[in-house]
Amino acid sequence: MTTASEPREPAIASKASAHARDADAWDAPGASFVAQVWAVARKDLLLEARSRERLVSMGTFAVLVAIVFAFAVDPAVRARSIGGAMVWVTVLFAGTLGMGRSWALEREAEALTGVLLAPIDPGALFLGKWMANMAVMLAVEALIFPVFALFFNLGFQGSIPALAAVVVLATAGFIALGTLFGAIAAHTRLGDTLIPILLLPLLAPVVIFASAATQRLLVGRPAGDVLSQLKMLGAFDLVFLFLCTALFGAVMEE
Amino acid sequence: METMTTPSPATAYAHSGVGSSTDSLAGTRRWAMALGVLAAVTMIAALYMVFFYAPTESTMGVVQRIFYMHVPSAWTAFMAFGIVALCSAGYLWLRDPRLDAIAVSAAELGVVFTTIVLLTGPLWGKIAWGAWWVWEPRLTLTLLLWFIYVGYFILRGAAENPERGKRFAAIMGVVGAVDIPLIHLSVQWWRSQHPKPVVLRPEGAQADPAIVQTLMVALLAFTLLFFSLMLFRYGLERLRTRAQALRVAPR
Amino acid sequence: MSAAAAPAPALAARGVEKWYGPLPAVRGVDFTLAPGEFVTVFGPNGAGKTTLLRILCGAVKPTRGTVTIDGEEIGESDGARRRIGLLSHQTFLYPGLTAAENLDFYARLYGLPRRKERVEEALLSVGLQDRRGDRARTFSRGMQQRLALARTLLHAPSVVLLDEPYTGLDPHASAMLRAVLDRLKDGRRTVVLVTHNLSQGLEQADRVVVQVAGRWVSDEPRGAVDTAAFERVYTERVAAAA
Repeated sequence: MTTASEPREPAIASKASAHARDADAWDAPGASFVAQVWAVARKDLLLEARSRERLVSMGTFAVLVAIVFAFAVDPAVRARSIGGAMVWVTVLFAGTLGMGRSWALEREAEALTGVLLAPIDPGALFLGKWMANMAVMLAVEALIFPVFALFFNLGFQGSIPALAAVVVLATAGFIALGTLFGAIAAHTRLGDTLIPILLLPLLAPVVIFASAATQRLLVGRPAGDVLSQLKMLGAFDLVFLFLCTALFGAVMEE
Repeated sequence: METMTTPSPATAYAHSGVGSSTDSLAGTRRWAMALGVLAAVTMIAALYMVFFYAPTESTMGVVQRIFYMHVPSAWTAFMAFGIVALCSAGYLWLRDPRLDAIAVSAAELGVVFTTIVLLTGPLWGKIAWGAWWVWEPRLTLTLLLWFIYVGYFILRGAAENPERGKRFAAIMGVVGAVDIPLIHLSVQWWRSQHPKPVVLRPEGAQADPAIVQTLMVALLAFTLLFFSLMLFRYGLERLRTRAQALRVAPR
Repeated sequence: MSAAAAPAPALAARGVEKWYGPLPAVRGVDFTLAPGEFVTVFGPNGAGKTTLLRILCGAVKPTRGTVTIDGEEIGESDGARRRIGLLSHQTFLYPGLTAAENLDFYARLYGLPRRKERVEEALLSVGLQDRRGDRARTFSRGMQQRLALARTLLHAPSVVLLDEPYTGLDPHASAMLRAVLDRLKDGRRTVVLVTHNLSQGLEQADRVVVQVAGRWVSDEPRGAVDTAAFERVYTERVAAAA
């Protein structure tokens, strides 16, 4: 093979260093699973931090739902006895609203195809998305809980760390299924409207345990009383994080 | 580069991934008919036993007999979903279209039986306790199962291309199956928190042997009916897939 | 152009087919490309060229057949995937991220060392270094395609697939693209270019292919193709195969 004529590369180094640059890339071991997860999560968080689109839409929606509850709940009912329920209903509806958006980002310039071209483990893509979605959802929840406490005068008497544990564990499982089905829904004709239909039956355990635990903590029962619910939520999370990661490759395949 | 000669229709659908072009459905049809006959016979026996052999339950009266339709339907509905789940997992792993055909056949029947459970439950409940609907754990679980089935079918039909739809539905089958035990536990816990637990014991206070026997026969009849119908449906699905491939003959 | 002796073809397809249910998109494509070959694929719309390219880079799984890059089959998380790049009419970029951030993301995905430098060099090579902090959304079509080109070449793929890259480009951007393609012809990189533009496609090709209805109906070395007559010949081939 004869050497090519002088390259017309604008201002870059010589051919030799170009070769070196290439060999560099070829010989590199490639990104680790964790590095890929972080790359995806970071990218999503960067996009969200910049546009704040999901935070704003989910947050606004949640506050409006709280207002609707205020109007809808009979004055004879003590809001304190349904605080846990109201909060989790709102979280679920706001969450399913935001889930679809995360995948819509990928479809804009078909970025998803570019990502899938890379030697990325689909599980890493899933977990990266999951992490980012978790962060966004937790941020919205950090708004929802205080707003409800304010609107309904719910003096929270229980253990805050226990409440945090409930919220994190419940959200993890919710977001795991939400990310999986969000991806699926993005590739159907019905799109985002499909997400709540698919998710809500599957999330029954999350609703049941999370709202019960939240309610107990709200009225001041000790953290030990919610231990069994925390365990169930944790089991749910483990099972579905694993399953969804494993199934994700099948979703992405064309 | 030589151009390929136009493949024959047999090659066409073999290439389109519909599975072995020689898999004969005659055997399936024979089994389906045999099971159908058995089912019919057993069903007649069951009907006889339900109306003439089993005693009238003391507290709930004649209406209690609906239980002999309710319980076997529930059993069948959940067994069907088990089949859906196993075949879905198999399909995702092996991509054999026959597994998908079994899954969709089981799902179609499963949703029918689930609907029967959801209709017979309230019918019985209204007459026995005056309430159309009670959040009894098993009934609640069945209600959620119904929605999971619906999700299965929506995904199958709504995907951009049919292959993807089958894969999405299979994912729903697997996720649903894994979730069902968790839902069951959670719903049971949920009802146990309820101040006045509603105990649905349609079989009545005593387990009279005649009742148990009738129930067993009814269970057998429903199971045979399910498998017979499922095999027919499976055969239909395989034929449909082949017909589709042949219709789009290569130019 | 003779290729350097290589133990395995740079890119090879064996019996590749893609059926969407009963509908065929690619109906049996077999070929081998030596390192450094530049192949241009012409074909009418709906011939399955885009699908074929997507199968070659692993974005789409074929119904049948295998694709190998340097002898390795393309699958998930493989060394093979790291050696191939695709430039399509969709940019595969995030409009909300800046040029540098987009490239940084891809550099992370591929696990490329010296990330910052590499991103900077890539931006330089397509002339976008002054816009590195601007969101991709603010770029014109030509600039977006240049950024996409930078993305494609970021991980120094040895096989580069280009799916109608000239689409929608103004003359300046077209010229830049052509210059980059010229640079790719360095004997080590294998290029498959899909285009409608007969003159642009013939310019750099070593090998000329016509794809119709999912099959390669013609595959000739560039030297055997009469440029002046090619348009007529192409039309004939398309009509014959339809």
